[in-house]
Order: sequence, then structure tokens, then C-alpha cells
Amino acid sequence: MTTHYLVLSALLFTIGGIGVLVRRNAIVVFMSVELMLNSCNLAFVAFSRMHGNLDGQLMAFFVMVVAAAEVVVGLAIIVTIFRTRRSASVDDANLLKY
Amino acid sequence: MSPAEITQYSGGGVIGVSWLMIALPLAGAAILLLGGRRTDRWGHLLGVAMSLASFVVAVLTFVALLGRDPAQRRLDIALFDFIPAGSLDVKMGLLIDPLSISFALLITGVGTLIHIYSIGYMSHDSDRRRFFSYLNLFVAAMLLLVLADNYVGLYIGWEGVGLASYLLIGFWQFKPSAAVAAKKAFIINRVGDVGLAIGIFTLFATFGTVGFKPIFENVGGASAGVMTAVGLLLLLGAVGKSAQLPLQAWLLDAMEGPTPVSALIHAATMVTAGVYLITRSSPIFEAAPTAQLVVTIVGAATLLFGAIIGCAKDDIKKGLAGSTMSQIGYMFLAAGLGGAVGYVAAIAHLLTHGFFKAGLFLGAGSVMHAMNDEVDMRRYGGLRKIMPITFGTFMLGYLAIIGIPPFAGWFTKDSIIEAAVQKHWILGAAAILGAALTAFYMSRMVFMTFFGEKRWEPDTHPHESPANMTGPMILLAIGSVFGGAFLVLGDRFMTFLAPVIGAPGPEYHGFQPLAPPGIITFVLVLAGIGIAWTMYGKRPVPVVAPRGSFATVAARRDLFGDALNEALFMRPGQWLTRVSVWFDNRGVDGLVNGLAATIGGTSGRLRRVQTGFARSYAMFVFVGAVLVTGALLLVGTL
Amino acid sequence: MISAPTIEYLEIAPLLLVFGAAIIGVLVEAFAPRHLRSAFHIPLTLLAIAGAFVLTVLLAVDKTRTVAVMGALAIDGTTLFLWGTILVLAFISVLLMNDEGQFVAQAAAVPGSAEEQEAVLEGQAQTEVYPLALFAIGGMLIFPASNDLLMLFVALEVMSLPLYLLCGLARRRRLLSQEAAVKYFLLGAFSSGFLLYGIAMLYGYAGSLDLAKISAALGTVSGMDPLLVLGTALLGVGMLFKIGAAPFQAWKPDVYQGAPTPVTALMASGTLVAAFGALLRVFWVALGNLDWDWSPILWGVAILTMVIGVILAITQTDIKRMLAYSSIAHAGFLLTAFVATGGPEQNRVALSSILFYLAAYGVTTVGAFAVVTMVRDTGGEAGHLSRWAGLGKRSPILAGVFAFFLLAFAGIPLTSGFLGKYAVFQAAVAGGATPLVIVGVVTSAIAAFFYARVIVLMFFSEPAADGPVIAAPTVGTALVVALAATVTVVLGVLPQPMLDLAGAAARSLFVY
Repeated sequence: MTTHYLVLSALLFTIGGIGVLVRRNAIVVFMSVELMLNSCNLAFVAFSRMHGNLDGQLMAFFVMVVAAAEVVVGLAIIVTIFRTRRSASVDDANLLKY
Repeated sequence: MSPAEITQYSGGGVIGVSWLMIALPLAGAAILLLGGRRTDRWGHLLGVAMSLASFVVAVLTFVALLGRDPAQRRLDIALFDFIPAGSLDVKMGLLIDPLSISFALLITGVGTLIHIYSIGYMSHDSDRRRFFSYLNLFVAAMLLLVLADNYVGLYIGWEGVGLASYLLIGFWQFKPSAAVAAKKAFIINRVGDVGLAIGIFTLFATFGTVGFKPIFENVGGASAGVMTAVGLLLLLGAVGKSAQLPLQAWLLDAMEGPTPVSALIHAATMVTAGVYLITRSSPIFEAAPTAQLVVTIVGAATLLFGAIIGCAKDDIKKGLAGSTMSQIGYMFLAAGLGGAVGYVAAIAHLLTHGFFKAGLFLGAGSVMHAMNDEVDMRRYGGLRKIMPITFGTFMLGYLAIIGIPPFAGWFTKDSIIEAAVQKHWILGAAAILGAALTAFYMSRMVFMTFFGEKRWEPDTHPHESPANMTGPMILLAIGSVFGGAFLVLGDRFMTFLAPVIGAPGPEYHGFQPLAPPGIITFVLVLAGIGIAWTMYGKRPVPVVAPRGSFATVAARRDLFGDALNEALFMRPGQWLTRVSVWFDNRGVDGLVNGLAATIGGTSGRLRRVQTGFARSYAMFVFVGAVLVTGALLLVGTL
Repeated sequence: MISAPTIEYLEIAPLLLVFGAAIIGVLVEAFAPRHLRSAFHIPLTLLAIAGAFVLTVLLAVDKTRTVAVMGALAIDGTTLFLWGTILVLAFISVLLMNDEGQFVAQAAAVPGSAEEQEAVLEGQAQTEVYPLALFAIGGMLIFPASNDLLMLFVALEVMSLPLYLLCGLARRRRLLSQEAAVKYFLLGAFSSGFLLYGIAMLYGYAGSLDLAKISAALGTVSGMDPLLVLGTALLGVGMLFKIGAAPFQAWKPDVYQGAPTPVTALMASGTLVAAFGALLRVFWVALGNLDWDWSPILWGVAILTMVIGVILAITQTDIKRMLAYSSIAHAGFLLTAFVATGGPEQNRVALSSILFYLAAYGVTTVGAFAVVTMVRDTGGEAGHLSRWAGLGKRSPILAGVFAFFLLAFAGIPLTSGFLGKYAVFQAAVAGGATPLVIVGVVTSAIAAFFYARVIVLMFFSEPAADGPVIAAPTVGTALVVALAATVTVVLGVLPQPMLDLAGAAARSLFVY
């Protein structure tokens, strides 16, 4: 049974990863990262059930809290740069290079 | 009697804080150098105070040492663990014994007098503060040299005095001649220092330590060959520092420095460091008769060499410099003779020489000060009435150096001549001939400077120097008069030094002034004075030097010492340099430049990968993660 | 039935102090009037860090070596040494932050807008930097002490999130600063996704998040190797990202260049120390028995890191960017000792060499960035190297100190950098990583070239007519430069006490 959840988790993780690589809008990139984190949560909970201990579920809660904090920080940064540049595209921000 | 054992001293008292001797002038130098112009106003006073304080500590230590039983007068004071690196463990400490304290008294005593003298001498120099900081640095380094209880400490002091000497010779570095002279002194000294360094390496390789005590206790265990090698290497170091043949060429040029420097460093103290090194290493030299023989030969050759140069120089300071070489030659000769008699004669002459030669230099400085910094003796003459104090003190120093009884030099030089005659008639003859030459050139100097008619440059208004200059000269003159009798009569100094170098054997019968060598010497000295009188006293001295015979020309040109150096070392060195440069340009640089260009080009291309797009960075992370995972899987399955 | 957790307050007192001060700092932001805030923050922050340092020293003197808070934190010699190091680095970095010219007047105002003008004229300051820094420092303290993967992840985020924000708060060149923040944030979050997935895989393999239990499971669990491999790889990726090892180094130059220099100093020193400590603990404790598998990979990573770091540094024209690449190269040098595992004695030697290197390198780094803050143009710091030409003529002391730091980076004898590098390479040779050391020595030689280039530029070029001015340093900055220079000299000339300390810290390796 666990395998199904793991496959789903891996799929979600991959989708999230690819989303980061192909999408330009910073908000969407960020959402893709969140998707990766949540795929981890799924894996944690599935393993937790498989091993019969609560560590994984506990971890999932912590990850949610951290993700929430990350949203706060991330949105703040993205909004600031959007207000400056009038653009949320991550490709526009490339003054720093080489 | 064999030397006393070095014992560990852990008590307090003045001996426990004898490191202050070094620390005080070092602190003075640091304050003056770091403080910069802010300390200009009182810098010279601080310099004098630090030197004086160091002298006071030295005197108190000396008194404390006298209060101990003679067998208990060699004390090792541990300070700190300096270099704990594997098998090389240098523990820094001070060795307070009769030998080192004698030097400490000379250095701080004469040093303080010269500090005081310099206040007046350098009063017109805007960089007087810097001068005093270097002087303090010198005193500290010289004290470290003589007080350290191991060869590494000695070496640090050795290099420290070399640095101070370099800085002070080139003190007026706006004069190209001074800058060149400083560089010359530095480079020639390096040759000697390499010898000393390799000697110390050899000692460490042989004995596994660099401390005096463990080395000297185990000298018997080493092979004669190694000891001879070490002795010769140490001698090379000594020869460089003390301006002996063949590394003598720098000392004459070193007179470009301010005169107090010439007096302190290039006459009284630093140049005698070689004698200290040989005396301190006496257990090594006693185990290497060949090295001792070389020391005596170097000494005898240099004492004649320096004296001949001194006979022809018209520059008063260079004349004195030649004389210094010659007198240190006497000390080397005595130190090379070995045994208690030889070492005591060397050190005693070193101490009296410190007084009379410093006094003569200060006198010369006083004359120059009065004569608008003129150094050509052909431009002097008739100064004895105008500068009575300078004349008087100079005369006392003169009588001391040429060895007129009962002045200081007579006692100490006569001891050396006696010892040399007993060793071998050639050495004795050289020493006696040297004494006659000394009498000649010193008399010449006195006649040309203080007697005869005035040959001054127009617009010269000589005057007696101020009290802070004449004071030190008077004190040094007192030393020149009584120092020798005090040290030699009743074998006082020999008894004092006995814990360090042992007492003489039964064949020694004390100081014997009326033996044949002494009488011959005295007669020849009088002859030297007489010849000088007929040549320079009776006849007028021409203002422009006559062409002179070949011998005179050779002596004026330092007996072709520089020409020899150029032909033997400079030209082949330049040739070698050109070959190396050619090879370096064509071969090594070609390779390196090509490599650098390749790396630079790679860098220029590779940095384009850093595109500035966050998504491409994410791609790196992603690809990296895939690679790492894949590689780990691969390794796992292998 | 759930039993109440036990918390060893005494052992974690330094953490509590730092976080407590951070929370007080937040309250100050909320309730204190604007003009009084920095008067509260500066002493509070500095005292908290200093107090935490004192507590750490007391713990170390007390010979505390224990696992605290239900196995979540390991308080051992290594942790205490790293805590001490991080707190010192944090202290001097915070001293650098205390400079009007560094942080934005009002972060929310759009650059160049009237609103920003107004904020600048009113003399506002974004004083949140102090509590943010304290939170980041707290995260740095937990990170190398984490004894289970849950703690590790939380610490990583507590350390990183405030840093993301701090990166975007530069007063000048705000576009660059904001860009640095957004890049750092997105890439950091991306990499922590990998890290987290790795943790999940390891948890699936071992059934526990505890490092010791994972280590115990290595020999016993069978049939789930893919999970272990994937977990090890992804966890490694997440942590190598934080130390800036290639090929995960791309964020470092951009972020270091764009961030306010005091923040760069904190990141380049404190974060590196913390991340390296955590990397050591995870790989040596939890995955130590697997070193035959991961060490070849890390060999490759180390070589790539050293090579990329020095090669790309050569053609850099911005001083901060060059230092960032140099920091990448130094991470590579550190990795050479990291992979040189072996018996306990070898591990002790390697660990102590890494600890010494981290301490020495961290202090020199903060010092170098402190100098960077002082060389200013009209538009802020003079970043471009051409502006540094002839600095040695205008300001010999500052240029001399900076040259000295560069020599320490290059590893010239009589500087701390030499001994650090020597210790690390020696440990690597002893651990059988001689080829790595050869690469290390060659890259060090190349690195010496670009450090020397800056020195030559400073001392042997004519200064530009309109060259940068040297800002009169604040007391804090002057103190930092002096302290860093002193430490760099002392560790170079008299390293024995510090080496002994690192050796003592590494003696018991890790507790778990």
C-alpha cells in the first residue's frame, strides 16, 4: 500500500521541481516549491503508517509550520521586488551575473 | 679550574627581572616608532631614559652577581617556551654570567653616554626621534644577543643589531652614498649570517638542541670534524659582523652613518659581537684546534690590514674605522689563541677598546660638529686651542689606543701581544708590527687635526661642543685612562671571568710588562710616533693629498678590497643573474604565462555559465542532485 | 499516554538567551517608539550574544557532553566549539551592522520613490535587522547541534528565513539587493525541498529521524537500499547547497554581492560554520558507516568546488563577488578534510583541523568584509576592483590590513590561513586523500594569483583622481577590523592554544 503513496509523492515532487525550472512567475515558482514540500509531507505520513510510529506525522506538522513561515517571508520578498520592477518574472531579475 | 656549571635560577630579586634590560629599550623603540611625530618633543628624552634604566638594571644585576659565590655566578633564567615545534623546542631564557654581564654593562653604559651625546649632536636633525628609536632598538637587540641562553636567541639579537645597523648607516638616506653604504653593510653581513645560521642548524642536527648549556656539556660527544665545521661556520658569522677579512669591506663605508652610531655600533659594541660569539662558544672552539688556528690567522691578518688602511686615510672617521678593524683583529687573535689567558685578553681589550674608541669617535664627531661636518683631516689643523676639552679627551683616548703606559690600552694590548708571542713568533711579530702602525696612524691623526697651522675651509667657525656632548667624552676618557689598570692589575678580570672560561694553567705568571715583547713594542711605538711627527708634525700638511706611492694608493683604496669583491663576486654574480633571467624569461615564464593565459581564458568562458537567471541556477541544483543520486547509486552497486 | 518531554534548560541556555533576546527585540519593534528602537536593540543584541558566549564557555569548562531535549540536540565538544565560533563571528558581524549607511531606511518603500526620499530625510532605519539577525544566529547555533533530522530541518529554516529578508535590506543599490533576496529565497527554498525529501526517504528507510538510530539501522534493514541512497543523496544536496559546494554554488556570488555587506559577512562566516558543522554531524554520525559510498561522490564535489571557486574568481571585477568565489574555494578546501574519514584517531585529527580552519577563516572573512564597508563611492561601497587601484597610497593602513587578510586567505605563512590550510591538508593526506590535496595545493596557487592581484592593484597602481573615499569607520567597524587582524596574526604566529582547543573539542568526536 505504501508504495502507491510514495509514487504519488514522487510524482508531486517531480511536478513541483519541474514547475520551479520552467515557470517564470515568481509566485508560481514559489507555489511549486510548496508543492515539493507537501509531497514530502505525504511521504512522511505514509512512512509513519508503514513503520507504525508517529515521528513522520510529527514531522509533517513541523513542515507545515515552516512552510507557513516561508510563505510569509517569501511573499514579502516577492511583493517588494514586484513593486520595484512592476514584474514578478524571475527572469527579469538578472543584474547580478557572471 | 674548569668553568662553573650553569644553574637554573628561579629566585626573584633583580636577577629574576633582568629581562627588563632588554624590555625597556625595546619598549622605548616601540613607543617612538609607533607614536610617530607625536613623540617628537620628548622622544630623545625617553630614549635616554630607557637606555639609562637598562644600565641601572645591568648594574644592579652585576652587584647581585658579585654577591654570589663565584661558582654560583652562571645563572639561567627561563622566560618562556618560544618555539615548541616537534623535536625543535626552543625555550627562551637569559644566561646571566660574568661574560654576559660584562657585555651588558659595556653596551648599556657606553650606550647611555652616546644617547646623551646624541641629544646635542642630532639637535638640528628633524628626525631626531627616529634616530633615538633606532638606537633603543639597537641596545635591545644587542642585549638580547649577549644575554640569550641559546643560539636562536643569539641569532635573533644578531639579526636585530644588523637591522639597527642598516637603519642607522642609512639614516640620512637622502644621501645616495649613505643608502648604498647601508645596503652594502646589509648584504655583506648576510653572507656571514648564513654561515652562522648553518652553524646553528648543524649544532641542532648534532645535539638536538640549541641551548648553550646542553650543547657545551655534550661537546665531548661530537666528532672533531663536526666541531671544526661548526667552528668555521660560526667564525664566518663572526667575521661578517666584526668586519674581519674577508668580509671587512662594509665597515669603512658604514661611516656614512651619524657619528654617534659609528661610535656605539661600529666601534664599541656591535662589531665586537664576533668576539663575543667566539668567546661564548669557547667549548666548541677548544674542541676544534683547526678552527682556532683559522681565527688567529684571520685576526692577525686583519689587524695589519686595518692598520695599513688607517695609515692612508684622510677622512678622520674612515681612519678610525680602519683602526677599529685592526683592534678587533687583536681581539680575534687573542680569542683564537684560546685558553683562559687568550679569552680574558680578548674581552679585556674589547672593554677598554669600547671606551677609548667610542671616546675617539665622539671626539671626531665633536670636531666635525665644529667644522661644518667636514671630515677631511687635511682641512683641519690647529684645533687644540679652540676645542680644549675635545683635544684633551681625544689625547687620552689616543694615548690609550697606542698603548702608552699606564693608559688602558697598554695593559690589554700588551696582554695580547705577550700571549701571541708565546703561541708563535709570526703571530707575535704581526701583533707588534700592528702596534707600531697604530702608533703611526693615530699620531698622524692627532697631528693633522689638533696641531699645525689652520687649513680650514673659509667660512668655518669652530667652537667647543656643548656640555651634553663633552660630558660623555670626559666620562669615556676616564675609562680610557683607568679601565685597563683596573681590569688587568691583580688579574681582577681574569678571576671574574673564571667561572665562564676557567682559570689559566700553572704556566701563567700574571701580567709581565717588562718582558722582552713589551719592551720591543714600546720602542716601536715610540718610533711610530716619531715618524708621524717628522711627516705630519714638523712639515706642513698639504691641503690636497699628494699622489703618493703605490702602497699609499692601495691603502687609500682599502687595499683593493672592493675591487676584489667586484672581480670575485659581483661580476660572476651579475653574469649568473643574466643567465638566470634569460632562462627564466624564455623557459619558466613562457610556461607559466601560457598556463596563466589558459586559466584566465577558461575563467572568462566558464563565468558565462553564471547567467544571472535564477531558474538556470535551479537547473544546476537539479542536475547536480540527479548526478549525485546517480553517482551514489552507481557506487552502491559496484 | 504521552510522557512530558524533559528539557535540559541549563545545557541549552545559550540558545534560550539568543532566542529570548530575539523575541524581546520583536516586542521592542512592536511597542517602542521609532527613535528609541536602535538604542534598545544594539545593546540587547550584543549583550545577548556575549552572554550566550559566556554560557557556552561555562558549558565547555564544565565539560558538558550530553544529548539534550529528548535527543534532539547534542551538546558535545564540537557543538560547543562551533557555538563559540559562531557567537564570536555573529558578535563582530553585528558590530558591522551598527552603521547608518548599510541598511535601508524603509524596506517597503519603492527604490527611488518620494516615499523613500521622505524616509531617508526623516532618518528612519529598518531596525528589524537586529531581531532578524538574532533569529538567524539562533538557527545557526541549533543547526550544527541537531541530533535528529527534524531539528536539522527546523534549524535550517530558522537560520535561512531571516537571512533571506536581511539580504534584501541594503540601503544602496537596492535593486541588486532585492534581486539577491529573491534569488537566495527561491533557490534556498528549492534546495530545502530536496533536503526534506531526503529526510523523508531516510525516515522511510530507518523508521526514525534520530541520527543514532539511522546509523544503527544501516546494517540491519534490508531491501530498502534505494530509499537510503536517495535519502543520502538528497540530504547531501540540501546541505552542500548551504555551504556553497559545486555544482550548488551558483547562488553564492549573486547573493554575496547583492546583500548588505554586514549580512554578507554574517553569511560568509556564521552560516558556513553552522552548515559545515551540521554536514559533519549528519554524514559522520548518521551515515558514517556508509562512507565507502558517499566519499567518492564528495571527492568529486570537493575537486569541482575548489576548481570552480578559484577559476571563476580570477576574472572577477567586483570585490565582494571575488570574495564570494574565494569562499566557494575555501568550502572546497574544507571538504578535503571532510572526506578523509578513517579510524577514530584519523577522524579526530580531521575534525579538529576543520574546526580550526572554520574559526580562522571565519574571523578573517568578517574582517575583510569590514574593510569592504569602509571603501566608499558616492553611490555606496566601491565594489568595482578598478576603484581600489592605488588605495595603498591613499590609506596605507587600511590597504595594508586588507592585504594581510588576502594573504591569510591565500594561506601565506605567519597568518592563520596558512595553519588552517596546513592542518586540513595534513589531515586529508593522513586520511588517504592525497590526490585531493594535490588539487587543493594547485588551486591554492591559482588562488594566490587573484589575491595578489588585488594587493598589486592597491599598492602599485596610481590612484584614480576621483577615487573612493575611505569612510571614517564607526567604532564598531574599527573594532572589527582591529580584532580580525589581531586574531589572524595571533592564530598565525601562536596557534598552539587554538589548536589545542580544537583538538580538545574534537577529542570525543560526536555524542549521539
